Amino acid sequence: MRKILSVIKREYIQIVRTKGFIIGTVLGPVLMASFIVVPVLMSVISVDKQETIGVVDLSERVFTGLENKLDMKLKDGQRRYLLTEYKVRRDVDGLREELNRKVLSDELTAYLIIPENISEGGTAKYYSRNVSDFDKLRSINEAVNSVVIEKRLNKEGLNPSKIAEYLKRIRWKNNKVTKRGVEEDTGGTFIIAYFLVLILYMTLFFYGSIIMRGVIEEKTSRVVEVVLSSLKPFQLMIGKLLGIAAVGFTQYTIWALFGLAASKYGGRLVSGIFPQAQAFKMPSMPAYIFVYFVVFFILGYFLYGTLYAAIGSVVNSEKEAQQLLFPISMFLIVPILLIMFVMRSPSSSVSVILSLVPFFAPILMLLRISILLPPFIQVAGSIVLMILMILLMVWLVSKIYRVGILMYGKRPNMKEIIKWVRYS
Amino acid sequence: MNALEVSNISKRFGNFFAVKDLTFEISEGSIYGLLGPNGAGKTTTLRMVMNIIMPDSGEIKVLGQKMDERMKARIGYLPEDRGLYPKMKVGEILLFLAEIKGVRGERAKKKIDLWLDRFSLSEWKQKKVEELSKGMQQKIQFIVTVIHEPEIIILDEPFGGLDPVNTKLIKDIMMEMEKKGHTIIFSTHRMEQVEMICDKICLINKAEKVLEGGLADIKKEYGKNTVILDYDGNGSFIKEFPGIEKIDDYGKFMEIKMKEKADPQGLLETLVGKIQVNKFEVREPTLNAIFIDKVGEKDAEDTVSH
Repeated sequence: MRKILSVIKREYIQIVRTKGFIIGTVLGPVLMASFIVVPVLMSVISVDKQETIGVVDLSERVFTGLENKLDMKLKDGQRRYLLTEYKVRRDVDGLREELNRKVLSDELTAYLIIPENISEGGTAKYYSRNVSDFDKLRSINEAVNSVVIEKRLNKEGLNPSKIAEYLKRIRWKNNKVTKRGVEEDTGGTFIIAYFLVLILYMTLFFYGSIIMRGVIEEKTSRVVEVVLSSLKPFQLMIGKLLGIAAVGFTQYTIWALFGLAASKYGGRLVSGIFPQAQAFKMPSMPAYIFVYFVVFFILGYFLYGTLYAAIGSVVNSEKEAQQLLFPISMFLIVPILLIMFVMRSPSSSVSVILSLVPFFAPILMLLRISILLPPFIQVAGSIVLMILMILLMVWLVSKIYRVGILMYGKRPNMKEIIKWVRYS
Repeated sequence: MNALEVSNISKRFGNFFAVKDLTFEISEGSIYGLLGPNGAGKTTTLRMVMNIIMPDSGEIKVLGQKMDERMKARIGYLPEDRGLYPKMKVGEILLFLAEIKGVRGERAKKKIDLWLDRFSLSEWKQKKVEELSKGMQQKIQFIVTVIHEPEIIILDEPFGGLDPVNTKLIKDIMMEMEKKGHTIIFSTHRMEQVEMICDKICLINKAEKVLEGGLADIKKEYGKNTVILDYDGNGSFIKEFPGIEKIDDYGKFMEIKMKEKADPQGLLETLVGKIQVNKFEVREPTLNAIFIDKVGEKDAEDTVSH
């Protein structure tokens, strides 16, 4: 046990002293701060310029209304969108060609063709070089839509001055029901869940590669046999895993302190620097989510850490390791791809099963916990399954590790590795 | 009591025998040489002695007890594949490696300073290992091996890559340790070192023991039928002389193996006048010759040449 402690101490001190750790620890909060500051900045400093949009109004009834609706202003008071109407002289196709040229020469940002039967279900067509600017597309679409709806209502004989009132959107608020009561949600749940899972994902990757690089360094520097003349391969492996886990703990503690300070003073700080920004409310995180976050980090760390240690032990260089890393990366990337699915239906049986799979659990179960706390039995189940898997991995990997770290030269194939496990 | 007893150990990797039914014992306080060409199984044997890999069969006893993890603290091991953590400071790595051998705290620090001073490396204590020259790193390696004052010191190719000055330094410390009663086991394929240092040797080839015993006994067994000739001139005619079994000609130096009843004096008479004889000695064969004889010329070529 004292030998393992010596190994832990060595790993911890050596890594905490590296530039990578110091930079990462400082950069973490900077990144966190930028998550808060950048969206606020974006809303304050808009990069929008005036844009000209051509309108071919075949119905002859939309243009004027559209010009009134699409009246957003830029900061200097000018119109955001300048609308220019084009009339068809000979045929629509000829006009379209002319407008296409104008779009390509940036004279127009876009043009819009409104068919004659727009009120009766005809399709309005939007042409632009960029059709991915969702914000712009939505506001133009909304404007055309409401102009046409107003026209229809008008036709039915409704009082035109009241139409705006009739079309007014309802007000809506999301409320989250938890065991502690009901709380209003302003999108915080989504942000927190996404944020936590992303941190977990990045740190699992990060610490995994530190473990792997450590093992490779011991091999390439040929120090491993010197160390093994004093202790067992298993002690070296466990000491390394625990030492680097302690590094992770240190980093998380520092980040948590930053986070605490940010949630307490962050809002005030932001509105102090940018008085234009509306009173910014920091999403708050319930303590139990943080506890689970730490638990799932620890379990995920050992689950993936053993895998990284195994890879480090069978290769001769980091370059060689890259090919073997692919399957591990898949284990980490698959749950990230499933985030949207699980967020939409966190309690569906597919989500439940996926979040119980040990290698997916750190990310998916944590995600479910932060969206809506699943039944305790599921959370406990995933934790138990992960612990069992970790024990299995430690047993398996220690067998690969003890042979691998003394092997130089050709990288063993899967068949040989299985043989190592069976022999020793 | 024997410092080490190895009985019938075998180790197989797949279908390849790295060590096959090997038995030898080493008495306390002696210097023992484990010889053999590259790939003979020396390193595997020493790794098994160190409990780093397990023998498939057989038994290893160290200082009268079955070898296990606790015994590691009583042995100092300098592996053939050796290195240090490149980013660690010299003082730190020595402390770490001393700690896992069970030497801790002030005692460890005192010893580290003592040894660094002896190797005149004191001003390098705060430097990173990677800043040291290769020779200095070798010295640090050696300090690591002996810092816990082990009763048994195992050195696998200790002189590999050492310059003559460091070789002498290490050799002197080995002799000093032996005088203090430590048992020293070392493996090598450089015979001249063995002849100078060892009491007993064990020669292994292709996983098996081919020769074991005291150095003097082995040589006696081979008889006094070898002529060592130190000369200048063209000595190519010598091979025509009757009664010569084998010649190793190095240009200015010749090791001549005579047949059983051949006459060395006759040879000397033939030589006089034809070449300049600087030295003519009738003696036992060199260990080098015995090695080649036992291992076979072809096997040994790539081994002895460097």
